[in-house]
Amino acid sequence: MSVAELKERHAAATATVNDLRERLKQKRQLLLDTDVASYALSHGRTPISFSSTDLVCCRTLRGHTGKVYSLDWTPERNRIVSASQDGRLIVWNALTSQKTHAIKLHCAWVMTCAFAPSGQSVACGGLDSACSIFNLNSQVDRDGNIPISRILTGHKGYVSSCQYVPDQETRLITSSGDQTCVLWDITTGQRISVFGGDFPSGHTADVLSLSINSANSNMFVSGSCDATARLWDIRIASRAVRTYHGHEGDVNTVKFFPDGQRFGTGSDDTTCRLFDMRTGHQLQVYSRPHENNDNDVPTVTSIAFSISGRLLFAGYSNGDCYVWDTLVAEVAFNLGTLQNSHEGRISCLGLSSDGSALCTGSWDKNLRIWAFGGHRMVI
Amino acid sequence: MSMTSSSGSTAGRVEAGEAARSDKQQQTTPPPPPPLPLPQARTGGFLGRHRLSAAITRLDQEILSLQEEINELETMDPSSAACQEVLLSMEGKPEPLLPVTRGPEDVSWDRWFQRVRSSRGHKWWTHKGSDFS
Repeated sequence: MSVAELKERHAAATATVNDLRERLKQKRQLLLDTDVASYALSHGRTPISFSSTDLVCCRTLRGHTGKVYSLDWTPERNRIVSASQDGRLIVWNALTSQKTHAIKLHCAWVMTCAFAPSGQSVACGGLDSACSIFNLNSQVDRDGNIPISRILTGHKGYVSSCQYVPDQETRLITSSGDQTCVLWDITTGQRISVFGGDFPSGHTADVLSLSINSANSNMFVSGSCDATARLWDIRIASRAVRTYHGHEGDVNTVKFFPDGQRFGTGSDDTTCRLFDMRTGHQLQVYSRPHENNDNDVPTVTSIAFSISGRLLFAGYSNGDCYVWDTLVAEVAFNLGTLQNSHEGRISCLGLSSDGSALCTGSWDKNLRIWAFGGHRMVI
Repeated sequence: MSMTSSSGSTAGRVEAGEAARSDKQQQTTPPPPPPLPLPQARTGGFLGRHRLSAAITRLDQEILSLQEEINELETMDPSSAACQEVLLSMEGKPEPLLPVTRGPEDVSWDRWFQRVRSSRGHKWWTHKGSDFS
């Protein structure tokens, strides 16, 4: 077939794709008969109201000498690992605020960290395009550093996010600037599956975040600079199960909703969104109230759901940390307005496994732990 | 690309190096190299055809995927069904970060405000509503 004929076919296929996308958008629009907030309000749900002393900062974890980029809690709920621009991972006892481990990294440009399900190992990755595993029980070397127990190499771009597969100590998923996600076997250091890349339904720009479904660990969702989130089945790497459109900027963060049937996203377009995993419907947009100064609109850097899903915590680039009422799509509280809040961008946040505390990490070099300090009424 | 026509041979490369060195010693700048010929447009060649074919394959697969998704929508529930599920999924779930929550209350929720003994033997007491860091 000649080049001219191929060009003709390419133009025709492109036109068909655009036409189908438009048809899909219109059909989906017809199915969006309501959103979560309208539905909840019409069913008698009322907004949550917090008093100014309900959510309080009960710990500040000081020790990093550079911006904090990432954090993760252990499943056993009282320890946190954090990664910083200072080239260190610090493992904290969140109850005592003490450091249990400080790991000096070979590459200081770390972007992400994660605890293994057992809490015995931590993983991290960054601009070195590799994911390094450290066993916290390893003997320290002469300089007092914990040696790397395994390096997972193979990505062709920075490692933006990593997460262990729940209840599987030897399996981990990474996302990368090379537009792919990879499932790794930590024991062998080999790639089990690559999601995206040469496959047609993969991301078309850097993948920034991922979240594994704790209700069904075969499924995970990824967020990308291509303004989409994609759902993947670990058992079928050749194509994304579904692509979720709606955002108008990089999808910086994705998190599964506690029921495992939905997930949230946070984006450079300043919004958080709630998507239904099965149908692909966008169920809610969580938009910041419009401010007068439109020049520097804060972007969403990180999100987390409370254990029931009623609260959506969203960290922003201006230091705000909104506590959204998921049901009515209103801001119930802004941790950023409190006297002892962070003084820089909220770069990461996460909830303890029992849901009793939120930890936020910031470019101000600190981590803060927030818990409910008011009078709790149990019904 | 070398400035000398004999750049393919070792002798040619050495000569070029020597010439560059003597030029430097005389503090004169060598004449700029002649402009390189523009690379041939390769769209007519194998590479262009290969890339176009690959792009068409991708688009064809996307067409199938989009058609599949459109067909799925025919039998799909409206968003209100999923919204109802969201509400139901929260019903009766204990929530440690809310002022009003369903029971049972877990005493460990308030561990952040209780006496803590650190490994160094320090003790402190934390009260609700203040920062003890």
